[in-house]
Amino acid sequence: MTRIAIGQFYPTDSPVHRLDPRVKLLAVIAFVTVLLFVTRFLGLGLAALFLAAIIRLSRVPARFLFRGLRMILFILIFASVINLFLTPGETILFSFGFIRLTAEGLYRAGLMTVRLVLLVIGSSLLTLTTSPIKLTDGIESLLRPFPLPAHDIAIMMTIALRMIPTLAEETDKIIKAQKARGADFETGSLPKRVKQFLAVLIPLFVSSFKRADELATAMEARCYRGGEGRTKMKPLKMKRADVLALAVTLLFCAGLIFLRFL
Amino acid sequence: MIISENVCFAYAVPEDGATAPPPVLCGVDFAVEKGAFIAIVGRNGSGKSTLAKHINALLLPTGGTLWVNGIDTKDKARLWEIRKSAGMVFQNPDNQIVATIVEEDVAFGPENLGLPSEEILRRVRAALATVGMTEHAQSAPHHLSGGQKQRVAIAGVLAMRPSLIVLDEPTAMLDPSGRREVMETVKQLNAEAGITVVLITHFMEEAAQAHRLIVMENGRIAMEGTPRSIFKRGDALARLGLAVPQVVALAQAMREQGIPVAEDILEIDELIADEAVRKAAMAFSGAFFAKKTAPPREARPSAPLIEVRALSHMYNPGAAYEKKAISQLSLAIDAGEIIGLIGHTGSGKSTLVQHFNALLKPTAGQVLINAVDIHADKKQLKALRQRVGLVFQYPEHQLFAATVYEDVAFGPSRMGMGADELDKSVKNALASVGLGEEVCGKSPFSLSGGQKRRVAIAGVLAMRPEILVLDEPTAGLDPHGREEILSQIHEMHERLGLTVILVSHSMEDAARLCGRIIVMNQGGIAMEGTPAQVFAQGKTLEEIGLAVPLVSGILSRLGEINPHIPAGIFTVNDAALLLAGGGGTP
Repeated sequence: MTRIAIGQFYPTDSPVHRLDPRVKLLAVIAFVTVLLFVTRFLGLGLAALFLAAIIRLSRVPARFLFRGLRMILFILIFASVINLFLTPGETILFSFGFIRLTAEGLYRAGLMTVRLVLLVIGSSLLTLTTSPIKLTDGIESLLRPFPLPAHDIAIMMTIALRMIPTLAEETDKIIKAQKARGADFETGSLPKRVKQFLAVLIPLFVSSFKRADELATAMEARCYRGGEGRTKMKPLKMKRADVLALAVTLLFCAGLIFLRFL
Repeated sequence: MIISENVCFAYAVPEDGATAPPPVLCGVDFAVEKGAFIAIVGRNGSGKSTLAKHINALLLPTGGTLWVNGIDTKDKARLWEIRKSAGMVFQNPDNQIVATIVEEDVAFGPENLGLPSEEILRRVRAALATVGMTEHAQSAPHHLSGGQKQRVAIAGVLAMRPSLIVLDEPTAMLDPSGRREVMETVKQLNAEAGITVVLITHFMEEAAQAHRLIVMENGRIAMEGTPRSIFKRGDALARLGLAVPQVVALAQAMREQGIPVAEDILEIDELIADEAVRKAAMAFSGAFFAKKTAPPREARPSAPLIEVRALSHMYNPGAAYEKKAISQLSLAIDAGEIIGLIGHTGSGKSTLVQHFNALLKPTAGQVLINAVDIHADKKQLKALRQRVGLVFQYPEHQLFAATVYEDVAFGPSRMGMGADELDKSVKNALASVGLGEEVCGKSPFSLSGGQKRRVAIAGVLAMRPEILVLDEPTAGLDPHGREEILSQIHEMHERLGLTVILVSHSMEDAARLCGRIIVMNQGGIAMEGTPAQVFAQGKTLEEIGLAVPLVSGILSRLGEINPHIPAGIFTVNDAALLLAGGGGTP
């Protein structure tokens, strides 16, 4: 239990890993938005090629990218089935009772599936190439111009990431301790089982509150007073490569939109 | 550096409560000069931690004044100046590390101070180098050992360049090697960097290393002076529920046996160099026999109660984080034995005991209880867990019910015990851990730390197990609490005839209670035998990274003077008797 991988960061050194997290965040946002406006396979094909090139640069093995797809497999199948059979159209390819398969439906379903796959792979690429710390820094920096508590959001994310392994370990221990006292989480009636889960949840809550309290005290003792006047050991700096990467992505996205009007 | 004048502190009266809580601190006067190393000792609830929080202005005195570096801690405008110069390290390493990467966490303080990036980077590197954690700069905190985490916490404070560090029981949750790491770091900071240190501790051996000692009792300073002068007054300390370090106790016992040892002995080296001790050692003729001789293991009447056959256990088999915790381990435990299972963190002891009640399944091998494989019949799982009671480390963390009674009754009622029997069982269990019926209706969360632990142990005892396994039952308790728990375990063994397995880092605890000791290392058994047999092999123990009980260590060093002196003696009294000229029972 002590070895829990946080997020799905794939640590290696590549031009994509080295990019400023803000650039990657903005690029993903732009890419995802533009995908929604692409209505032809030509556009999607170009987008796929673009993504493939970045994946190549990132040195992340392909299987890690497809892992993200497994989780949305159900949504993927569901969306394609809906599109496949419920799209009204002229050219009927196949019909059986009320089920009709139209050429338009096939086209829409294909488009939808490819679009979703690209969308998921594109955003996985962000989390695979950016460590949680950098991601948090990037989000904090991007949120700053907006009337949002950017620093508070960032510190909450950091602490959550820090505490996940600790609490996972603790949960495991409490479950075992209650099992040793005869708790049975697998069998028995529902009310009985609920009571057994309380025997895990209550100690977990008690300890989380205690941890929160102690952590707050420790942070205060280290002069923490919110984001005001705080500096960074490793501040985010845009380099030439970052500007270039962002420019290329934005140009590409603009091109895709332009393609729609051709 | 610190001047405390008549400092008093009481928590505010709760809005609904009629009575004011008693003051935690009451007229505390003391001063700490620059570069000093002060230790504060006292029982739980004596006000030590509250006092520590005053030095960092986390709490403000409700009466009197505390100055840190000449600044009144009540001066709100200079609060950050105080916190910057008086760093604080807390007990639980997990609850004070903020960031997910070591380096980022050390930078947390300087970042809060608003320092320029290059300066932060420089300080972080220097701080990590000072505590010897440079190679772990990029590690995630949850992959570090307790001692390493505490060193990271110290680095986090150092990076703010404080002139004073307050450490509130920094070693309470660590194993012996972690404790050593932290103490060495602290002493080095004081001696080399000239940082003033205030160390709060329950370990008298640590307190003995300070320049000056403050003993607290009920929110007041009960004694103050050099460790030598304070430890001379063993009786007064005992009245406060505290003990003297073992070396001091041994010197005291020798004096009582008529060996004229010097009065102010504090360190092992001093004791060994003492003229009277050397003379006594020289005169030793070998007329001493170990008191306890364990029954020979061959004379076993029937099958062992617990038998482990070629047990192996692997965590996350097949995954990237696959880890072999136990390999090819075999052992046998007889009914009525009291066994000490010793080993450092990660040696596999906790993994092993979780096999005894089938919380873990062997990857290979078998566990037999009364010659029956515990995994043979799945339906017997509940009965098995009733027979083998397992008390986890920090068992008070599993308390959950509204009242002590309900919590203790949770186990036995799961086992399907009848109402009358249940009631009797709960009350007996509470009595066994020294708690009366008056606690039954209280919330377990309202009790003191030591009481909570005893309630949790009662929760396992109430199931009426035949075998009681305790994982580090004394961890984090003050000396008085440790003493209580150990003597209750001893009593349970004697009176209830329980077979007890005590998992521990502490050689002293195991030596005192156990008839047989099993030493684990790297998932296997490294040594096995009576305490005398095991502790006679000091060299092997040290190679594994375990410390010999202090008394055995001293005797084996005296053995260099006179080779007749046996090293397998581990209690203060036996050692004193031995050196006084062969008392003991032949």
